[in-house]
Amino acid sequence: MATVPSGSSVGAGPRSVIATWLYHHRQAALTSCEKLFAESVASFLTIMVIGIALALPNLGFSLATTLQDQIAKLNAPPQLSILMEPQITFNETAQLRERLMRRPGIAQVELIDRDDALADFTASAGLEALLERLGTNPLPHSLWVYPKANVRDAGLDQLRIDLSALPGVSNVILDSRWLTRLNSFSELMKTTAVVLFFVMAAGVVLTLGNTLRLAIEARREEIIVIKLIGGGDAFARRPFLYTGLLTGCLGGLMAGLLSFAAAMVLKSPINRLLELYDQPEVMLSLAISDLLVLIGIGSTLGLMSAWYSVQLHLARIKPR
Amino acid sequence: MDVVFNRVGKRYGQRDALMDLTFEMPSGEMAFLTGHSGAGKSTLLRLLLLLERVSSGQIIVGGQSLAKIKASGIPKYRRDFGIVFQDHQLLSDRSVYHNVALPLEIAGFTKRDVDRRVRAALDKVGLLDRERAEPDTLSGGEQQRVGIARAVVARPKILIADEPTGNLDPQLSAEIMGLFAAFNSVGVTVIVASHDLALISRMPHRILTLDQGSLLTVGSERGLN
Repeated sequence: MATVPSGSSVGAGPRSVIATWLYHHRQAALTSCEKLFAESVASFLTIMVIGIALALPNLGFSLATTLQDQIAKLNAPPQLSILMEPQITFNETAQLRERLMRRPGIAQVELIDRDDALADFTASAGLEALLERLGTNPLPHSLWVYPKANVRDAGLDQLRIDLSALPGVSNVILDSRWLTRLNSFSELMKTTAVVLFFVMAAGVVLTLGNTLRLAIEARREEIIVIKLIGGGDAFARRPFLYTGLLTGCLGGLMAGLLSFAAAMVLKSPINRLLELYDQPEVMLSLAISDLLVLIGIGSTLGLMSAWYSVQLHLARIKPR
Repeated sequence: MDVVFNRVGKRYGQRDALMDLTFEMPSGEMAFLTGHSGAGKSTLLRLLLLLERVSSGQIIVGGQSLAKIKASGIPKYRRDFGIVFQDHQLLSDRSVYHNVALPLEIAGFTKRDVDRRVRAALDKVGLLDRERAEPDTLSGGEQQRVGIARAVVARPKILIADEPTGNLDPQLSAEIMGLFAAFNSVGVTVIVASHDLALISRMPHRILTLDQGSLLTVGSERGLN
């Protein structure tokens, strides 16, 4: 009521509309903070639930991304190995190389002499003794074919089939097969993480929504009094929206911490795996941007849950 | 603010809670509303506070027809009122001070103004020294006085009290009624619903008697002059 003239002993009257609005927001935020700390155990559990629910898909997603990054680095251009029939001579193989070099889609062809190949193999495997025991070289001549960069996936398969059909060719091995498999595996992992995220997000909204429903019930008389003495729906709603926002925000932060902790634990097994593929170590770490995204998602989910809960339950509380 | 009820009716299903109710209260009047329980006192107050809408007729408050106030305008409309409840409806999770400050915070007063006004209101009801107390630690009479402080702190144009002395002994009741009369004397329109006939008939104010939804007597203005 702005009925008191300014200068009166009881004050100058209400603030402007905007100042009041800001003041109400500040008050609601502060009250929500206080309540969150006052019920620290319950708040912590809720924050934990949100943290875990967001950390799981986040972890899956970042693992898949790390894997894909590594695969992308591996992408030395895919290579096909042509193993010739044993009776094919070096010269015949060299002629085939010349022909292949002229084919479209092929960048480079390298000829590997069978004797060189055996020497390399025994040397790298530490089996020099075997070389002496073997009377004859069991390996055929072979060609390493480097396709042009624009030849990928289906094109590579077609090339493999075409090369297999050439006379004198015993077998064609597409070396990037395992890469493709690994790639589609990480793609699957990514998709799973996204699906998991939506399931978890729905869980968060329902859990937090229910927590807030209880909070609204617990403050029923306060809401009634507020409505009776001239507080609008927005005024009654605001503390709950802030509670949702704050809980979601802290939940996102918790998700970040949990992801970081999990990354620390997973670091050595992942690097061991990468070592098997001759890959350098990676640091699985939590980037600031990831943390901000998690906090953003948590806050959004928190606010959404609060909104849904408030719309559903606050309107039902009417003064009698 | 003046209050005009013009042929107001309220039906709940088949039952008429109020029928053809017509009366006027000029700005600054104090009146009692009485009648047996179920006579329609609460319904009348609920209609006045826009907790419900009339079934027929119209209510005009301060020259404005309540039918024209949309749902979104109700909170603002209610800020013209101070309401005292029978069970005082104090919030037990905050101090006396913060209970009284609530209407001012809703209206957006600055902290300094809130402070001054809360103290002034508590002083008027004689509870300035209890501002830090929890409501549950106060006696029934003190709680009701805190409720009154909260109702008047924002300087309402109309003060409504619904059975404010329902749970109090005669002496405390008389004190509470005296408080209302004091606020009335500074120009606030006051409506007190009460069935404490012994008490209200001693006071020099109009008594509106409701019986089964109809106004039985408009008057008993003895002593108004």
